[in-house]
Amino acid sequence: MKFREIFRFEFAYQLRRPWTWLFVFVLIVVDFLMTRDRAVTDALFEEFFVNSPFLIANTTVFGSLMWLMMAAVIAGDAAARDVATRMHPLLYTVSISKAEYLGGRFLAALALNALILLGVQVGILLGVYLPGMGPALIGPFRPAAYWTAYIYIALPNAFVATAMQFAMATRSGRAMAGYLGSFILFFMGFFVASFLLFRRGLGTLLDPTGIRFIVEDIAHLWTTVEKNQRLLTLEGIVLENRLLWIGLGLITVAVTYLGFRFAHRIESTFWWKRALNKFSAGKLAYGHQETAPSPGIAIRSGRPVCVPQAPLTFGIAMQTRQTLTIASASFRMIATSWAGLALLTFIPLLTIPVVVDQMESNGVPLLPVTTRVINELTAPLSAELSRWVIVPALLIFFAGELVWREREAGLGDITDAMPGSEWPPFLGKFLGLGLLLIAFTTLQMSAGMIAQSLMGYNKFELGLYLKILFGLQLPEYLLFAVLVLVVHVLVDHKYIGHLIATLAYVFIALSTLFGVEHNLLVYGAGPGWSYTEMRGFGPSLGPWLWFKGYWAAWALLLAVVGRLLWVRGKEGTLKFRLQLARHRFTGPTRWLAGSASVLILALGGFIFYNTNILNEYLTTSEVKGRQAEYERRYERYNGIPQPEPTQANLHIEIYPDLREAEIRGSYQLVNRSTVAIDSIHVATAKVTTETSFDRAAALVVADEDHGHRIYALEEPLQPGDSLRLDFKVNIKPRGFRENGVDASVTSNGTFFMNKNYFPLIGYQRHRELITATDRREHGLAPRPLIAFLNDEEAYKDRGRGIAFNAVLGTQEDQVAVAPGMLRGTWTEGGRRYFHYSTDAIGGEWSFFSARYAVCKSEWISSDDSLNPQEESAAARRVAIRIYHDPRHTAHLDPMLRSIRASLDYYTKNFGPYRRGYLNVVERPGNGTGMHAEAAMLSHGEGFTFWRPEDGSHDHPYAIVAHEMAHQWTIPYANVEGAPVMSESLAWYYGMKAVEHSKGPEGLRQLFNYLWQPHPYAPIFRGEPLLRGLDPYMSYRKGPFALYTLSEYIGEEQVNGALRRLLENHRPVEAPLATTLDLYRELRAVTPDSLKYLLYDLFEANTYWKFKTERATATPIKTGEWQVILEVETHKVVVDSAGVKTPVPMDEWIEVGVFAPAKGRERQEPLYLKKHRIRSGKQTIQVTVSGKPARAGIDPYHVLNWEERSEDNMKNLRINQ
Amino acid sequence: MELQIRNVSKIYPNGVQALKNVTLTIPNGMYGLLGPNGAGKSTLMRILATLQEPDEGNIQLGSINVVKQKEEVRKTLGYLPQEFGVYPKVSAESLLDHFAILKGITTRAARKEAVEALLRQTNLWDVRKQKLGGYSGGMKQRFGVAVALLGNPKLMIVDEPTAGLDPAERVRFLNLLSELGENSVVILSTHIVEDVSELCTRMAIINRGEILLEAVPLQAMEGLKGRIYRRIIEKSALPQLERDHKIISTKLLGGRTVVHVYSEKALGGFELVPPDLEDVYFSAMAGHIGSRKPEVAL
Repeated sequence: MKFREIFRFEFAYQLRRPWTWLFVFVLIVVDFLMTRDRAVTDALFEEFFVNSPFLIANTTVFGSLMWLMMAAVIAGDAAARDVATRMHPLLYTVSISKAEYLGGRFLAALALNALILLGVQVGILLGVYLPGMGPALIGPFRPAAYWTAYIYIALPNAFVATAMQFAMATRSGRAMAGYLGSFILFFMGFFVASFLLFRRGLGTLLDPTGIRFIVEDIAHLWTTVEKNQRLLTLEGIVLENRLLWIGLGLITVAVTYLGFRFAHRIESTFWWKRALNKFSAGKLAYGHQETAPSPGIAIRSGRPVCVPQAPLTFGIAMQTRQTLTIASASFRMIATSWAGLALLTFIPLLTIPVVVDQMESNGVPLLPVTTRVINELTAPLSAELSRWVIVPALLIFFAGELVWREREAGLGDITDAMPGSEWPPFLGKFLGLGLLLIAFTTLQMSAGMIAQSLMGYNKFELGLYLKILFGLQLPEYLLFAVLVLVVHVLVDHKYIGHLIATLAYVFIALSTLFGVEHNLLVYGAGPGWSYTEMRGFGPSLGPWLWFKGYWAAWALLLAVVGRLLWVRGKEGTLKFRLQLARHRFTGPTRWLAGSASVLILALGGFIFYNTNILNEYLTTSEVKGRQAEYERRYERYNGIPQPEPTQANLHIEIYPDLREAEIRGSYQLVNRSTVAIDSIHVATAKVTTETSFDRAAALVVADEDHGHRIYALEEPLQPGDSLRLDFKVNIKPRGFRENGVDASVTSNGTFFMNKNYFPLIGYQRHRELITATDRREHGLAPRPLIAFLNDEEAYKDRGRGIAFNAVLGTQEDQVAVAPGMLRGTWTEGGRRYFHYSTDAIGGEWSFFSARYAVCKSEWISSDDSLNPQEESAAARRVAIRIYHDPRHTAHLDPMLRSIRASLDYYTKNFGPYRRGYLNVVERPGNGTGMHAEAAMLSHGEGFTFWRPEDGSHDHPYAIVAHEMAHQWTIPYANVEGAPVMSESLAWYYGMKAVEHSKGPEGLRQLFNYLWQPHPYAPIFRGEPLLRGLDPYMSYRKGPFALYTLSEYIGEEQVNGALRRLLENHRPVEAPLATTLDLYRELRAVTPDSLKYLLYDLFEANTYWKFKTERATATPIKTGEWQVILEVETHKVVVDSAGVKTPVPMDEWIEVGVFAPAKGRERQEPLYLKKHRIRSGKQTIQVTVSGKPARAGIDPYHVLNWEERSEDNMKNLRINQ
Repeated sequence: MELQIRNVSKIYPNGVQALKNVTLTIPNGMYGLLGPNGAGKSTLMRILATLQEPDEGNIQLGSINVVKQKEEVRKTLGYLPQEFGVYPKVSAESLLDHFAILKGITTRAARKEAVEALLRQTNLWDVRKQKLGGYSGGMKQRFGVAVALLGNPKLMIVDEPTAGLDPAERVRFLNLLSELGENSVVILSTHIVEDVSELCTRMAIINRGEILLEAVPLQAMEGLKGRIYRRIIEKSALPQLERDHKIISTKLLGGRTVVHVYSEKALGGFELVPPDLEDVYFSAMAGHIGSRKPEVAL
């Protein structure tokens, strides 16, 4: 009865509070917008219904995250209102039990939260069914999709969060402490689960929000069909996660219950403090005695109160002093609070292991250079999925605490009646936050350096730390601090202020969701900065500064508003505050507002001039509109006969310091078709481009907006004839763009590619819109991502190679690199020139210029079987040049080793290396990625920081081997399976190169790396390898399928097939190869008895499951043992809808028996042979010499590599 | 310096008229504002303390317009609100120092001197290092006075300072107030008559937003002489007596009821008593004297 009343009262009370309904409203609106937004589908390049279970679950995760950050006061208020309003003595003395009181309050809060979270589902429903959503996108209405998301995601989240929030608020007696509960969960989700425990499994288990098991796992693991149809079920990791967090919620509730007492609240109720108090009770009692009322002493009648006449200072001096004292008091207050402690102690301490943890890539340690460490410590304010989102979240909280500090302590009246304007409290509190942020930044900097020294690195670049952390990161936070302070002042209601401030953050982070894109319209936004060791900040700081200056001016204006509307005294109505603001709007404040406005207009105007007048600014939808228009206008010219380039002559002048480049070039174009060509289509890039022909041609269409020119030739170009296209391109920055400055040409580290600047011939299919949403929105018919495998037209679409000739001029102290072989270099007019040329090259060209050091080396074939008379000299000798930043040298030797090993193996197995040179170029950027073009590898600066450990996986070595393999890439058609032709083959080559140069141990380490699910989780979906497109197919499944095949039919057979494939397709007249050609060649070398395996690997999606049930060994005669294995095996085929079908098996599978292991060494098999194995249970008998220890089926996971179940092997039971 | 309050009215948004055409003249010295709970005392005090705005009327402190020139008032204001809190984790000394800066005592030495003097004056010197969270009600109140006294205010506003204090603490507190210099305006609002009678040279009685009486306590008591009668009766006789006489107050004494009656004529069966300030207060509240009964001249 009492419980019911407590529940009823609490529920009814909060149901009538405005904030409860505001939370519901906000959730409905935001989730409505998220449902209408197609970002998720576009990001996944998949098309599913807006009301598919996956999208509903996805929106529910983000909705409950939003709820977590804004609605903590529901539980907080239920838990702490009595103490906060000092009503608790009345309630605590009523005869109610703890269970009734806490239970009623907690369950009421939980019920309210559960109701508020229904807003998410309402928002989704409205998003789906309100007008404006295309009916084609709406799937059948399935109530289960909503309630499973609500019950499996939202409700458990609500339970554990309410428990945390309630616990925090009960403990502290303050409703706002509920947010600390939210922060803890948030922190778990974003910091601990996502980064520290990134490896799947543990991270997924420990994430309380569902981000990882929905947004990460399901997005990657479920097929499109599944995402559309499969309902979320409580099983596996999802069930474990939910149970874990419900369990933690229950524990929190129990702790709250046990820790709660119906007692007068003293300052602290922590047990250690209670114990301490008991200990020092005697001392305290003495202290009290002294102050006990003793009228004899106190009454000193007749003596007037004489307070020394202290000199009073008013005006600026006083206000400055006031500001400083409020600042330091504010700082102290936050720094000594729990949340402050978290910010200043817990987070920096956790930053150390996080940084250490992140100093690796692909399992290989990276040198913890300062640039890289700083990258881990910084994030733009608006990066809502970064771990540092905790900082704005805490700022919102702290700003509320500071604005309400005096009033909550009951000192508001006294402080409000003090002299001075409203500037000191406003500025003082801002400075308090500023001090806090400075302390935080300092600690983060120390954490970074500690992490560096823990990793044995001591080249701390203090200056860089200071510049970036204090100069670039801190201002982001400070700008936000002003905003949230002003929001709290304006709203003048703590809970609603918190809500509005949170919404302000959501707007900043997800402004595109609200249809706002331009950085001039999103508070604090602007183009980002970038820093790399080669390029430095490059040109990124200028625009950054202009935008931040602009927003600082806004912050100033906001501060004026905050001051004018600062609540002082008892009159709180907005009308009155506005009236008061008019009185306060005098003198310096007026002057400040004026100058802030002038600054906003001036800076904003200057920025606008740069972004929208000097440069063209297009919104995302305008860009897409142009793409659609391009297609509508010119798609009709797709595939019409056009002349093909056969020669390119380029003269490129690079002026690094001016960030300019001038490109003069010409293409020799030949008509290879059978008809005369009367018009030529030239696609131009978004730079000033001049084009002209060597014969009379009229420019009939010059569509610069869509980058398309059509020239009508006076004399049609006859088949076999050729003409010359001359062009001139000027790369020259004009001010800066809305998204910053193009850093292609920069003072050190110029890097650009032809596709961004050079004219191209014909209609450009790659400019078309791709995603189904975009195409539908612009009224275009859907198009497949890529041509179908059997699209034979696509096989013919091949260039015949271009004779490339380029002269690059650059600053005297720089080295310029282009495709082709370096023919000469000279200095002229204070500039340095480089001449590169090659006889036949594809269409993708990169150009570099930087202060490179060049490491020169040479590879000479040791293979005597190559006949020097027959093969060109190039086949025997390769000149290797590695262009690198002089500071980056550690990677050179290992890289050369890998290049040599690759050349050794590939030339022997797949044919000669056809170019006598190889250039490796470092490009600016912190990424570790490497890219291969003809005779050229380029890599980011990050590549040079890899430091593989002895005896573990050498990733850079394998990467170089893989990229080198691309030099033997079979010319392939751009149809389904193309990534398999390119990447799978190159990784198979890479595996073999590693195996042959580093031995089986090196290969095992590479396999261990490739087997890791991250970043490519096994996707049990049915498209066969022959049509594989995604990274999992091309980088994992493909290479392993080839490797498995080589284990069965032999390496020479597979390599021979690949070599023949290359030889067949290399001639320019041959059609491009597809996976079907690959399959045919492989079939040709596969014996009939193994054709089934080839089918299983390439044509079907097959999974093997092996289990050794029992394994015994019996000695039969001296040194010989009989081993009996009872195994169970299954084979499953998954079709394209994800349906699994068991299929019978009767095939050859390896059985292995191993001797006891000796230390770390790889166990040598006593027995390893293929046996004929059927589906189901069976017994295998083998005899070995030597004492065995372990045995099983498929010991090296040749077939079962995807799951690598450990059940396949078992320790032997020895029968004596 | 003199505080002149002219025709001040204030109506709250919920319709409650907190002040109705209040006019008072308050000279230097201790001034008592006496009234029951909800009479509008605190509203008036907050208006004087610049925390609220009157709807109408004018308030002048010397040459300062209190409503318009808030900043000028604040420079010379000491305010002890009826209810206030403290930061529980801060010591008295450091919080007082903090307030001293806010009040404008910017030089360190002067501040140190002032803080020490005030802590000694309010008898908090020995506990200055103690956290304010551990202070008793009286100590906290004295701390409030110390804050209010910072910077030698010319206008001191003390709102219901003795409510909730134990008798000894109250005596100690009143002593402190009584010692305030003669050079400033000190307004003490209270619902306890003794506070005024013990301390104030001038006073006003306020009820339901109206000033009922503005007087010098001694003169007011003198004016009532011969009009206050007393009788001790059984509780049951009270209703009958109420019908027959103008009862201004009843009090319990040893289980019986002591009744004070206002009468301009001699009353039989009653004992004529010398009026005290409480009789003045209740007579004014009952409307026998003061502004509600303008025909009665004091």
